[in-house]
Amino acid sequence: MLTVTDLSVTYGAVRALSGVSLSVPPGEVTAVIGANGAGKSTLMRTLAGLVKPASGSASLNGVTITGRKPEDIVRMGVALVPEGRSTIPDLTVEENLRLGGLWRSRVERMASQEEVFNLFPILGERKGLRADTLSGGERQQLAIGRALMSEPRCLLLDEPSLGLAPLIVTQILELVSRLARDSGLAVLLVEQNAVTALRVATTGVVLNLGEVVQSGSAEAIRSDEQLRHAYLGY
Amino acid sequence: MTTFIEYLLGGISSGAIIALMALAIVLIWRSTRVVNFAQVGQAMFTTYVALTVRDATGSWLYALVVAIIAGGILGLIVHWLVIRPVKRADTSGAIIATFGVLIALQALAGMVWGGDTRGYAPPVSNEGIELGGRIWPFSAYDVLVVAVMIALVVGLTLLFTRTNIGLQMRASAFNPEVARLSGVRVSRSLALGWVIAGMVGAVGGVLVAPVSNVSPNSFDILLVFAFTAAVIGGLDSLVGAVTFGIGTGLVISLVSGYSDSSNAPVVALVLLALNLLLKPDGVFGHHNSRAV
Repeated sequence: MLTVTDLSVTYGAVRALSGVSLSVPPGEVTAVIGANGAGKSTLMRTLAGLVKPASGSASLNGVTITGRKPEDIVRMGVALVPEGRSTIPDLTVEENLRLGGLWRSRVERMASQEEVFNLFPILGERKGLRADTLSGGERQQLAIGRALMSEPRCLLLDEPSLGLAPLIVTQILELVSRLARDSGLAVLLVEQNAVTALRVATTGVVLNLGEVVQSGSAEAIRSDEQLRHAYLGY
Repeated sequence: MTTFIEYLLGGISSGAIIALMALAIVLIWRSTRVVNFAQVGQAMFTTYVALTVRDATGSWLYALVVAIIAGGILGLIVHWLVIRPVKRADTSGAIIATFGVLIALQALAGMVWGGDTRGYAPPVSNEGIELGGRIWPFSAYDVLVVAVMIALVVGLTLLFTRTNIGLQMRASAFNPEVARLSGVRVSRSLALGWVIAGMVGAVGGVLVAPVSNVSPNSFDILLVFAFTAAVIGGLDSLVGAVTFGIGTGLVISLVSGYSDSSNAPVVALVLLALNLLLKPDGVFGHHNSRAV
């Protein structure tokens, strides 16, 4: 369980997040939705340790992760797939994956890599190719695969739909939600595309101008027409 | 024709040494995005260390080993003490700071070892090899220099492509943020880049010493050639650094042979200028390699 308590982040005078609290239980997908500039990416980058919070905290199974370095947070079991298909184009598929869990033993790494190849078979077929030869959808799979190589207990997915065809997004997200169910992974999914996100999520959190304005079952949020008009723009 | 071949032969081993210096420059550029103008200063300093060890022990090999260790330590010191704090504020400041380090090292070497030019005897013969009744401008020492360069290039290539440390260093250079998110201790990888570059530079210094002799300024011209080779090679390509390092050595040898050796630096700078005008990313460089 990832628990975020009263988290605030400021960029100079700008308050990007104020008093955000939420929890991400294992085995399901929790979706954070909201318009551009709502603070979704800031939330993810703060949880991963790339941004220091002004106040508040986050913890994984009771162990505080805020205030630590990104390289330590991933070792503690929280892995971020940042926005924009974060693979390293100059490295091969296999190298990108290997990078994701270098501190682990070879045996553990090979087992994780096998799991990733089962989840995303195309990566197994392309493992010797450079990442920049992959299509957008394949690179997103690689980025998620890299994060899974750390054997995380909590996976942070930042805007995975960006620039991808809707069908591919649905496929990838359904794989991720099945993975969450099967392996007890806690997934925090940030999306501008609320419809897709709420379809795979159990719980939804609506963020607006850095504040949580609504949270509850994904079902309830999806059917709340007022909320949709006010914050989600459809 | 024989003259031409002789000039080419004469350029190979100086090209190998230029290649090593260019490699050191590329290693640091790749990891830190800083052009280290102090590289030859560091190499000069560690060559003085080698000279001291050699005077004490009489062994060329011991001296080389100690120089390599000193090169690694000096690289680490320069990185931690000068580059890291300055770079936090501004990258171009860090590049200027490397000039400061160069001048400081030259002054320090002058204070410790004096300003006189000192010789550095090669471990094997520096006389041309006789073959088919002719003496060719290629000595046993040249063979050693080329062999050491090849060994280093192969070793570095294996390090970068076959080991986890190499993978971490490449990832840290290409995309530090993704590397950190993957658990890589990026600042350590960057420091290691400076250590390895310092070691490679130290080898280059010891190898060039029998040809250039040793004084606080005797490696300065090597900076011009190595920088030219590194930039033409694309600054982030190890293959480019080696190819154009040797290429620069050959060109210099031809220019010196057919005209006068004092023209060599001018030719190098003309090549550099042409390269920057015609192919600013370098021959082996990636298009966006300098946009980061």
